[in-house]
Amino acid sequence: MKRAALFVALLVLAWVAWDTGADPVRLARGLPWIADFVRRMVPPDLAVLPAACKGALLTVEIALLGTAVAAVLALPLGFLSARNVAPTPIFYPARAVLNLFRSVDTLVYALIFVAAVGLGPFPGVLAVIAYTTTSLAKLYSEAIEGIEPGPVDAITATGATRLQILRFGVLPQVLPLFLSYVLYRLETNIRAATVLGFVGAGGIGFYLQTYLRMIDYPAASTALLVTIVMVMVVDALSSRLRARLV
Amino acid sequence: MIEVAGLRIVLPPSVVAVDGVDLAIQPGEFVVILGRSGAGKTTFLRALNRLVEPTAGSVRVAGRAVTGAGAAELRAARRQIGMIFQQFNLVRRASVLDNVLAGRLGYVAPLPSLVGRVPPADRALALECLGRVGLGHLAGRRADTLSGGEQQRVAIARALAQAPSVILADEPTASLDPALTTEIMGILKAINVERRLTLVVSQHQLETALAYATRIVGFRRGRVGFDGPPSAVTPAVVDAIYGGEEGNPPRVPLDKRDNKEAK
Ligand SMILES: Nc1ncnc2c1ncn2[C@@H]1O[C@H](COP(=O)(O)OP(=O)(O)OP(=O)(O)O)[C@@H](O)[C@H]1O
Ligand SMILES: [Mg+2]
Repeated sequence: MKRAALFVALLVLAWVAWDTGADPVRLARGLPWIADFVRRMVPPDLAVLPAACKGALLTVEIALLGTAVAAVLALPLGFLSARNVAPTPIFYPARAVLNLFRSVDTLVYALIFVAAVGLGPFPGVLAVIAYTTTSLAKLYSEAIEGIEPGPVDAITATGATRLQILRFGVLPQVLPLFLSYVLYRLETNIRAATVLGFVGAGGIGFYLQTYLRMIDYPAASTALLVTIVMVMVVDALSSRLRARLV
Repeated sequence: MIEVAGLRIVLPPSVVAVDGVDLAIQPGEFVVILGRSGAGKTTFLRALNRLVEPTAGSVRVAGRAVTGAGAAELRAARRQIGMIFQQFNLVRRASVLDNVLAGRLGYVAPLPSLVGRVPPADRALALECLGRVGLGHLAGRRADTLSGGEQQRVAIARALAQAPSVILADEPTASLDPALTTEIMGILKAINVERRLTLVVSQHQLETALAYATRIVGFRRGRVGFDGPPSAVTPAVVDAIYGGEEGNPPRVPLDKRDNKEAK
């Protein structure tokens, strides 16, 4: 049984390798080109540093605004798609909507919003909101489903309204988790927002792509370095905050 | 004060947890419910404020219908019924005072309460209740930094903050050691006497039950098998409540019942 599964898995992988044209020889032949590419990237052209920093700042802004708005929008959705607090007739449609929209990635949303509202950071923000709202709502709802029922019973027994029960019995239990999820999403959104510029949705990605198109490799390498530093700084700040939450 | 008629509760998939209970409890009674594990004590208590939905029958508490009540009526009925749980059920991350203030939720205006606005009178009452259980000095502490006994006292204060006419307690001392059992039962008894509050408490310990109750109700397989004063609890009664099936005998022999716990 196990052997058969292994055999089938190997067969599938072999076919996939063939179908994607995976070829180590081709990779080996391409290596010098990568080396050449890297060689032409040094030294970085520091003249474009201010522009790159401006782009990076914009990327951070896109991720920040998008994540913040999504963190709030996801709240009602999260509660409505949590099995233990949502009324059953609402729970199932809410879950279905979440799963449907969650299967679309930020970049795809960006393409749609660029077409809708034009180039620039704004469609980037909208794309981040669209993806992050549903993905956070899903994380929220799982956190809500994992709460202790005891305190909820106790608050219910005082004669509290439904909203009061959510606010005083459920929210205190899940709030630290929610915040930690939001920070985690902020980290991943910074990375996602980096690429948004490639499709015209603003930020550092726009500069990176422009420099690459102009075959200005030293400038591109500056943009790349700024991106790396930006991601590392945000990650460090965010994970420090998260560590203090739990 | 509490009128239960024809109460029947079937839990999914098809467990008959309460099987036709009629019970009338007068104001100021201290009723202790006994019964072996699975007899239906918890289910019965939770039906009195409809944390569990009865399948059939009616419950009235302090003149208000609990069964058949609409959402607003049910909340009005619930706020006069304090409830204390085996696991204390405090909101761990909230302060002690905020936990006690939760007892006021049924009285304060809902919308302002959601953003944390509490009228001064309610805050004062909450502090007074906290003082009543001897924990006024811990008002600002986070609930989960308290010991088990302290947490249960906070839970009692929360119930008192409801200005209830009835307090239900489901095995309030089962997670506590014997000294704390005496302390918690003592507080409940004092409340019962001072404020003429009606108490309905389930207990696993026979000895404790007999020491504090004015009336014992023995549950057996979802029915009331005994109902009478503690003095009427004879070995035959104990056997009727607990015996006849495998395992789970009473935890304390009957002959030890006149003891130091009765104060
Ligand atoms: N949520 C539930 N779903 C289904 N059956 C339940 C549920 N809770 C309790 N029961 C069943 O209902 C019956 C009564 O349980 P209940 O908890 O009321 O008994 P109890 O007297 O409080 O027992 P214990 O002394 O162990 O606390 C038992 O047969 C139990 O298995
Ligand atoms: Mg029980």
